Amino acid sequence: MSETLTGAQILCRELLAAGVDVIFGYPGGAIMPFYHALPEYPGLRHILARHEQAAAHAADGYARACGRVGVCVATSGPGATNLVTGLATAHMDSSPVLAITGQVGRNMIGRDAFQETDIIGLTLPITKYNHLVQDVSELASSVREAITIALSGRPGPVLLDIPKDVQNQKFEYEAPPAGATPGTLAPGQLAPGASPGNLEDGIRDAAELIAAAERPLLMIGHGVILGNAYAEVRALAEKTGIPVITTLLGISAFPESHPLHLGMPGMHGEVHVNRAIQHADVIVGIGLRFDDRVTGNVAAFAPRAKIVHIELDRAEIGKNIRVAVGIVGDARDVTRRLVQAVQPRNCDPWREEIQSFVRPRAESFSGDLSPEAILASIYEVTGGRCTIVTDVGQHQMWVAKHYPYERPNTHITSGGLGTMGFAVPAAIGVHVARPDESVWAISGDGGFQMNMAEIATMVQEGLSVKMAIFNNGYLGMVRQWQQFFHEKRYSCTPIWSPDYVKLAEAYGIAGWRVENRAQLEDVVERANAHTGPALVEFVIAQEANVFPMIPPGGSLSEPIESAPAPAPVV
Amino acid sequence: MALSHAISVLLDDDLLTFNRVIGVVRRRNVPIANLTMGASQVPGVSRLSFMMQADEANADRLVRQLQKSFGVRHAAMFPAEDAVTREIALIKVRPAATNRAELAAVVLQFEAAVVEESPGAWIIAMTGVAARIESCIRALERFGILEIARSGAVAMRSGAASSPSPAPHNPSEAVL
Repeated sequence: MSETLTGAQILCRELLAAGVDVIFGYPGGAIMPFYHALPEYPGLRHILARHEQAAAHAADGYARACGRVGVCVATSGPGATNLVTGLATAHMDSSPVLAITGQVGRNMIGRDAFQETDIIGLTLPITKYNHLVQDVSELASSVREAITIALSGRPGPVLLDIPKDVQNQKFEYEAPPAGATPGTLAPGQLAPGASPGNLEDGIRDAAELIAAAERPLLMIGHGVILGNAYAEVRALAEKTGIPVITTLLGISAFPESHPLHLGMPGMHGEVHVNRAIQHADVIVGIGLRFDDRVTGNVAAFAPRAKIVHIELDRAEIGKNIRVAVGIVGDARDVTRRLVQAVQPRNCDPWREEIQSFVRPRAESFSGDLSPEAILASIYEVTGGRCTIVTDVGQHQMWVAKHYPYERPNTHITSGGLGTMGFAVPAAIGVHVARPDESVWAISGDGGFQMNMAEIATMVQEGLSVKMAIFNNGYLGMVRQWQQFFHEKRYSCTPIWSPDYVKLAEAYGIAGWRVENRAQLEDVVERANAHTGPALVEFVIAQEANVFPMIPPGGSLSEPIESAPAPAPVV
Repeated sequence: MALSHAISVLLDDDLLTFNRVIGVVRRRNVPIANLTMGASQVPGVSRLSFMMQADEANADRLVRQLQKSFGVRHAAMFPAEDAVTREIALIKVRPAATNRAELAAVVLQFEAAVVEESPGAWIIAMTGVAARIESCIRALERFGILEIARSGAVAMRSGAASSPSPAPHNPSEAVL
């Protein structure tokens, strides 16, 4: 049975059929027919962002938190270009986001019309798929296809550009048959029929390498979270006794209290984790891409190790490092088979050796309000039942290193692109996906000021997001690099902040400033219990550093563990 | 530039897919030459081929990236020495009244053809491998070359091995 609908109505119907129930967006001229239709579909909740970039980050945060496609909507021209950073962020971190942009009418395309931008051309390299819908007759199939592509295989963002007149075009719409919609496909799972052929040889080779290894490591990444492979990875670790390293985006894929958990590798990894990599004879990497922040100098990375790389995206295998065994497949499926193929063993001598690598943690701050104390307080107050969304910079590394993650997928951050300003809007999406648990957005004073306008979104929509600002008066990570590698010339890194408590007051939300440890527990407790958005500014030492640190391009064997001797200030 | 590998891609016959594929090549920042695109054995699917200078591993990485581009039906690489290539060149020359016989002899020598004779100029068409075409162009220089248009090399793997014949993309079929 068909009915006559406009393109805008068909779009709404297809989104609903795909299981979409929330949209983060911002209206404007070329998307107005869609916004005209939207009130007819109360199943589609719309959250009005204060900037399209934030709408894209919120859709990304939503997708990462619940594994369903996150949808953002913007108008043509500036609305569409404002999505770009959010889409690039989602692309680097394999997040299934659907962006819908209005476009000028078809008869105006290519004539530099008002608010016309070639958003298809702009987003080609940062989307998994994008498409200009040329006619209403192809709209429904385009939406289904875009969502399918976003969710299937290695997830990623997609964009549909829909001319205004196509949104107004009428068409005989045929609803999709029940169960034919793509919204339920678990991200990271291969689409039916897409499973690659022979995995057995690779699994047998991997099992043999594991059996023969004296110093094996498991290194797990975002693919374990996307593919829901927690139990399988844990079973593999426990059957073999192999210690587990979690990359930045792999954090929370393995409980940190587990005796086999080692920590984060790479540029800001603990010394013993990186030394373990340098001494390992076999590394089994699952769902990660060995990016340069993990490997440091590739030529000097894990010089003794044979590498087994299990990865859904075939193009990642051998891209950055040479592998002994590459297995293309879903993390869950391949790991489950690998668990069956390996013989039980332990790695006790190797684990003792790694323990001997452990060094006392380098002093990273002065003053009594340490990042560790703040994070411990958040953990204690929430009982660990919270999701932490971080921004980019020093605080991001402190959280990655010190927050004791126990539950899967409770750490959300911009890893690959390193997008400052991510945390606050992404936390909006995370909160919408997980309304019943605490969501803390942790930012530095730099990143917070990039997207703090989104407090208004939280107020208008009644979103109870908790915001923590680690305020050191600097763009801290850049300042740290200036201190270590640029003769301490703090060029353009001191950053002024408004009075955040007054800012909170202006927005009508709760706000506190914490300047010493004595205030800590009480304020965190009150902020966490507060109904509605709340903001806490933590005033921390200005020259706090993240230690240890592998210099950019350096080998994992050469960590920096203390600040350089003071150089003359220029 | 010594070109080590031929890359052959079967892709949906639309500009956006072409744009996407070229974007992948550009982002990998590899030197390429002789890019051509035209019809393949399947209606709606084009064949794009080019030559590149890279070691085996880098050529393979590029092919893997191409394979995951939306709209690419098949992508493969093979060493330049395993490729059969042909290029066509149109060369417009301005012979003097006194050396037309000589020009006709050069055309015959290279198994080229005079495809147009107009009062001020002749257009010579030449098909062959790139080196042979370059020899022909050098031989024609003394007649006064006005214009050259070269197609770039179309390439195919030698021997019986052949690429598949994938159907073009059909959005309604791709939906789960």
